[in-house]
Amino acid sequence: MAVASITQGGHDSHGEIDQLYIETRELRLQGFLLFLVSDCVLFSSFIFAYLYLRNSGQGWPPAGINRLDVAFAAVNSVVLFGSGATMHYALENWKHGNFMKFAWMLIFTIVLGVGFLCGQGYEYTNLIFHDHVSWWGSGIFGASFFTLTGMHGFHVFVGVCYLTVLLLQSAGGVYTKDKYFGLTAGTLYWHFVDVIWVVLFSIFYLL
Amino acid sequence: MAIAAAPHGGGIADHIHPEPQSFVRRYVFSIDHKIIGIQYIITGFVFFVLAGLLAETIRIQLMHANGGFVSPQTYNEVYSIHGSTMVWLVVIPLLTGGFGNLVFPLQIGARDVAFPWLNMLSYWIFPIAGLMLFSSFLMGAPTAGWTEYPPISLEGQAGTSMWAAAIFLVGVSSTLTGINFVVTIMKMRAPGMTFTRMPLFCWGQFATAPLLMIATTALAAALAALFMERQFGVPFFDPTKGGSPVLWQHMFWFYSHPAVYIMILPAFGIVSEVLPTFSRKPIFGYKLIAFSSMAIALAGFMVWAHHMFTSGLAPYLQLPFMVITFVIAVPTGIKIFSWTATLWGGKIHYTTAMLFAMGFLVLFTLGGITGIFLAAIPFDLHLHGTYFVVAHFHYVLVGGSLMGIFSGMYYWFPKMSGRLLSEKLGKWHFWLFFIGFNGTFLPMHWLGLEGMPRWVSTYDPQFQFWNQFASISSFVMTAGILLFFANILYSIRFGKVAGANPWGARTLEWQIPSPPHYYNFKHIPTVYGLPYDFSQPLPYRGLEDELNDTPPPVAAGAH
Repeated sequence: MAVASITQGGHDSHGEIDQLYIETRELRLQGFLLFLVSDCVLFSSFIFAYLYLRNSGQGWPPAGINRLDVAFAAVNSVVLFGSGATMHYALENWKHGNFMKFAWMLIFTIVLGVGFLCGQGYEYTNLIFHDHVSWWGSGIFGASFFTLTGMHGFHVFVGVCYLTVLLLQSAGGVYTKDKYFGLTAGTLYWHFVDVIWVVLFSIFYLL
Repeated sequence: MAIAAAPHGGGIADHIHPEPQSFVRRYVFSIDHKIIGIQYIITGFVFFVLAGLLAETIRIQLMHANGGFVSPQTYNEVYSIHGSTMVWLVVIPLLTGGFGNLVFPLQIGARDVAFPWLNMLSYWIFPIAGLMLFSSFLMGAPTAGWTEYPPISLEGQAGTSMWAAAIFLVGVSSTLTGINFVVTIMKMRAPGMTFTRMPLFCWGQFATAPLLMIATTALAAALAALFMERQFGVPFFDPTKGGSPVLWQHMFWFYSHPAVYIMILPAFGIVSEVLPTFSRKPIFGYKLIAFSSMAIALAGFMVWAHHMFTSGLAPYLQLPFMVITFVIAVPTGIKIFSWTATLWGGKIHYTTAMLFAMGFLVLFTLGGITGIFLAAIPFDLHLHGTYFVVAHFHYVLVGGSLMGIFSGMYYWFPKMSGRLLSEKLGKWHFWLFFIGFNGTFLPMHWLGLEGMPRWVSTYDPQFQFWNQFASISSFVMTAGILLFFANILYSIRFGKVAGANPWGARTLEWQIPSPPHYYNFKHIPTVYGLPYDFSQPLPYRGLEDELNDTPPPVAAGAH
């Protein structure tokens, strides 16, 4: 029934698009992109720290720690990248007025995001209880791996919540076919989280 | 009618927030950039007084070679919090949140910053973080200086974690301000206000804001790592667990070197407004001053390791950092020469704001030159961790940034309050401060050259004379600052009424009443040229109604 009201909300236009909205949207878009830039610097700093520690001559992975399971993480990555694709189609569908498809695509995205988090939870559980690796007790491996992937996981979690809010908002008629900045921001954020994962996957699992 | 005449027609330029009615919305949780700027300035000066008390504690301790005023432990806490307060709670907030908010939206002809609510949030994070920082005294303040190098900071008292959390929060506030300012300058300039017609104060802010936004986040990462290591034992910096103390130095200085440009570029901007106004001459080399700010901001990201020449960095890494640091002297030198050329042949009005700007030129040049000394690796190896370094950064931060802040206060106080600061008290303030400052910090150059280490509560008796000289001079400097506060308290009630443009200045903020109305401009003006061409007509159109009794523009409803 959420979907049905989205369809109505979408058609229930708030009147023609005005100059104030156009200019405000530009400001918000630029501000949001700059926020993502500064968030990117946050990740970059920790990535720098990880690479610095990793190359400090102690060998990698450190003694007593197995290499990470690439196969499982690869599958999990595909789940996250898939959610990036569905998010893209969700926004495209909104732009073309296919509000029903938009809703389903957004729901898929949320489900895939939750799936990724579950996968990460499974991986953490395995590492902690099977391999006895911990955040604080496994030297620089535990510190860098859990901090960076944890930060990313937190971003995914925030993203899932954000997308859920967007779903409810669009069901409540907050956005129209022409005024949907929140959806653009959500999509940008979700792609950003994806891109960060490309880097993290490469440097933790492949490198 | 007014709205129809506006260039964008119904866009942001015509969007006016309704006039705030209640006291709380007008002065406490205000979204007006001018009020927020004044809030920053007041809060910044409150922390300035606290940091000054800490500084005098240091100077009283150093009156005698054996110390004895406070315990060595307390002494360590005092200089750590003094430095942290001056950097994060005084100079950065005053120059960016304070003068930035107050002045640059007026100068570009905007009604407010891009995100007024975010601006309010930025401000309110700042005093809370400041209280957190000072509350660290209650649980044992940090003792490893404002740089908090591990491993000392890892073993430091409980307050060190509080310090990290407080600075993290100030960082969040700075980052939000940076985002706000970049967007405002990019998107909200008045029609005709191209980048090359923008006042140089705006260029200063425009060069600073990306640094606030990018560098501060890197500091946030370092602080978060330190916090996690101290509270949860997550090893990043502890060498016994595989971490690296040098990693902290990289992460810290990757922020803190750009931070010194955050602290000086807006001061450059203030001086670039004050010098042409009181020389009655167009600024020399407008584009060079503007672009050299951007060059400094960019190159500022590539020199952080010159703070780390003694930390065992490979020589082939040290050399490029030394060379790029020298390169930064070029755009800085361009500015110094341009300002000097602006004064040359000008009709100089020796107002207090002008005195501070000229004092800035002298002291900042001295500090800049010792900066070049310290960038040279062999020289730095000799002087690292001595009072020479203390002398250097006080010349650029007090002689540079703080003189710029004082200059800005005398210059813009009439715009904030509608009244002029007393010139008589101001001149006493300037000369006491200038003489006291040099008496305090000039001797530190040779104290450092002779090997007096910083961050130690006692020292070799051979250094006692110059330390006493410095301490007594610092009381003179403090007397000057007390006169400044007395001046503010006196002038805000009894000062001469300023009128719209007491200085005969040409930037936009002086073409509207003092203090400006909540909507800034009745009509957004159109800009036709640079603001510095004295003797030419003003390059603005659409300002005819600003100073007469025509009714204010109609506020758009909340959206």
